[in-house]
Amino acid sequence: MSNFPTNDLLRRKLQTSLTIATLTLSVSSTLFLLLFSSRLGINTTSTAVTLTMGITGALSTFTFFVGVLVFAVGAVLSSFIAFLMMAQRTRDFGLINAAGCPNSLVAGYFITELLAVTLTGCGLGVAFGFLTDFGVSNWVFSAYKLPNLWFGPGVFVTFFVFSLVFGLWPMIKASKMTPAKALSPTEYNGLTIGSKLRPMSRWGLTWQIASRSMYRRQKASIRLVILLSTVFVLLTVSVAGGIIARDTTTSWVQNTVDPKTIVIATNSMGNQYEQLLSKFSGGSANSDFNYSDPNLAIPQSVITQLSMLPLVSLIDSRLVLNEHVSEIDNFTVDPNNHSTSGTSSVGGHRQGDSIVIGVNVDKLDGTWSVAGHFLTVNGSLDAVVGDSIAQSMYAPDESLNINQSNPLVQGIAFENNTFNIVGVCVDPLNNGLVTYVSIDTLMNVTGISSPNLLLVQLKDASSTTIAQIKTTVQSIEPNLNVFSLDKTLQKDTNFLSSTWQTIMLLPIFTLASAAFCLVGYMMLTVDEQHQEYAILRAVGAKPRFVVVSLAIQSLILLLSSFGIGILFGTIITVLILMQQPIITGFTMFQITLWLASALSAIFILSLYPAYRLAKTAVLKIMT
Amino acid sequence: MSNHPDFMVYTEALEKVYQLGDEKIEVLKNVSLSIPKAKFIALTGASGSGKTTLLNIIGGIDRPSSGKIFVADQDLTSQNEDALSDFRCNNMGFVFQSYNLVSTLTVAENIAFPMEWTRKPFEEIGKRVDELLETLGLQHRANHFASQLSGGEQQRVAFARALANDPQLILADEPTGNLDAKNGNKIIQVLQLLKNQGKTVIVSTHDEQIKALADQVLMLEDGKLASENE
Repeated sequence: MSNFPTNDLLRRKLQTSLTIATLTLSVSSTLFLLLFSSRLGINTTSTAVTLTMGITGALSTFTFFVGVLVFAVGAVLSSFIAFLMMAQRTRDFGLINAAGCPNSLVAGYFITELLAVTLTGCGLGVAFGFLTDFGVSNWVFSAYKLPNLWFGPGVFVTFFVFSLVFGLWPMIKASKMTPAKALSPTEYNGLTIGSKLRPMSRWGLTWQIASRSMYRRQKASIRLVILLSTVFVLLTVSVAGGIIARDTTTSWVQNTVDPKTIVIATNSMGNQYEQLLSKFSGGSANSDFNYSDPNLAIPQSVITQLSMLPLVSLIDSRLVLNEHVSEIDNFTVDPNNHSTSGTSSVGGHRQGDSIVIGVNVDKLDGTWSVAGHFLTVNGSLDAVVGDSIAQSMYAPDESLNINQSNPLVQGIAFENNTFNIVGVCVDPLNNGLVTYVSIDTLMNVTGISSPNLLLVQLKDASSTTIAQIKTTVQSIEPNLNVFSLDKTLQKDTNFLSSTWQTIMLLPIFTLASAAFCLVGYMMLTVDEQHQEYAILRAVGAKPRFVVVSLAIQSLILLLSSFGIGILFGTIITVLILMQQPIITGFTMFQITLWLASALSAIFILSLYPAYRLAKTAVLKIMT
Repeated sequence: MSNHPDFMVYTEALEKVYQLGDEKIEVLKNVSLSIPKAKFIALTGASGSGKTTLLNIIGGIDRPSSGKIFVADQDLTSQNEDALSDFRCNNMGFVFQSYNLVSTLTVAENIAFPMEWTRKPFEEIGKRVDELLETLGLQHRANHFASQLSGGEQQRVAFARALANDPQLILADEPTGNLDAKNGNKIIQVLQLLKNQGKTVIVSTHDEQIKALADQVLMLEDGKLASENE
């Protein structure tokens, strides 16, 4: 009897290997997804020199949430597998106990089995997790860097403890039962509800068998719904969150310049502006460029002439300068204490460089995603700063003893003038290191009287129209040229899309691992019910009945979990991941397509165990 | 269709071989028999002689390795799984030694489900369940789970389920094997009732009382039909 645990596990080959395989899958997929998320995080951080800080923040929040959810799904799954495995042994516990074996010894046997299975599953899982990470990282990132190795022991210990605790639970319960009770199918089959109902209803028999089986196995069904709901929360956050975040951040970039817009400036200014815009996707601008060079000025006659052209719908005159800017601090008042001691300072005196753009507020080409609001006609001393300025100069910094900081209650100063910050915008220009003020105010404080760049919105941006504009402009001022921003903006949005595409591998991998884990889980649950289906087959049920009955159970569980998952996933996505999301009809279509495909894929895969059971000869299942 | 319409069961050189690793175990060897309709047959023999395997093959839940088998005018040798399921549902009732009730269904539901597959009307099923519960003395157990019944009660439920679709053939594998004398007698009464109703009954048994009830006793010895006593 001392070899009982080993012999028992070896004799129950199918159950043992299924449990170990499902645990291995759960641990390895979690570890791989965590390692992959962390690699994406590192990748995202390294792209922070190109992407704006606001967009980097959106990417990081997304990968962080997906990482947390991946971990939660893995932990729930592995603990349920251990629970299921040990709950199935309640009868054996009673049997050995009834044969005279003391409770402590029986518990010892089963705890040894639990330890062996969870150790093997978790150990193999960690090994496979690192191996998968090695393979996929080489494929996706084309170069393998050693991952954060601490994820391995972290996942191993957490999952091992979870599995052990949940696996011990049914054993502790069984050890407190009388052998007779432990042997009763009402216990080991998890029958929780009796029936006062007559057996028949006008519904189909297959539906009845399926629903009764689920209803009377309430505990098992609830466990599965919890597990599946967690999986679908993860999927919704990954898929919906990913798509919404991608579309929203892409629109942040696209909307800053209207699509039918051309730039009119001198060659050097036009090229510099293009470079500033392409810094988002890795370009570099001339840091010594003299923006205040009088040769860059655009004569008023050009603006007048252009405004008379019927092809032009808007002229956004801009004065673009490079300024050394300073943070202006402020203080807040404690509403309960109006004395001097009731105030606290907000911000500090940090400094940096920013591209300062003077704009004509009522003739703006483009819209920005803004926290606060954009400039208004009345706010001549207002400023809107880019997200990277906000995060680099207006974030709390303990090393500088700045505990509170909020750009929206602070100011920004340059050229000896202080501006109130009324908004923080996401702008790909100069990677978000920009400040927008009124062009009149900027001209006043710098003494520069002409704009150095025009954004001209056309009614029709065809090459003929652009050529016509160029001829008109050069007839007045031959030094000026026409630039199209399409290619630069396209490059920026493509870069952002490719970053998201890499991140969107997470939902794909998540879906694949969740599906495989679920098949494992379904195989264990089908294994738990195989005797019943064998009896049903023996007394006349067709093989198709087994598949349909298990398919109905699977569908009910999947759909209810899907509903819960979508609900919580959407709440997390809209309220936490992406506040002010941009959701178009196409976004909804993509999300629906993804989630419907995921649901269908998981449903089809979950049928495999049922199909396998239906294909097995009745007698083989019964014995 | 078979050419043996007078017989409920007809077999020709039936063989069943199980492969256990490298070892071949011949469970049935050249079994040829014919069982007329409306007869009560007792199948006897030592443990391991092949009684259960023969019953399983007659019942269509196992297939012979070679030979032919015709039951209720149907050639079971060539039937696919769906056809065998239909056959089991409509033509015969099987009573297992270990009862084999569906643990998630109540007594009434266990009796009802073979009828539900034949798409009988709701009212008819309800009436038939009540009738069988009364015949077998199980009315007070209708809404209990199998695990809440005694062995004798579970075996009676198994009989009720086997009779649900009023099959022509009843197969029972050692139905009293797990029961005490009192419960065994109740089962024998049920078998007597079936005999009186003119059903074809094949019972594998060691029970002398059941053998005494039989029109014919077939003895299996080491997988071969050793003797047939009228």
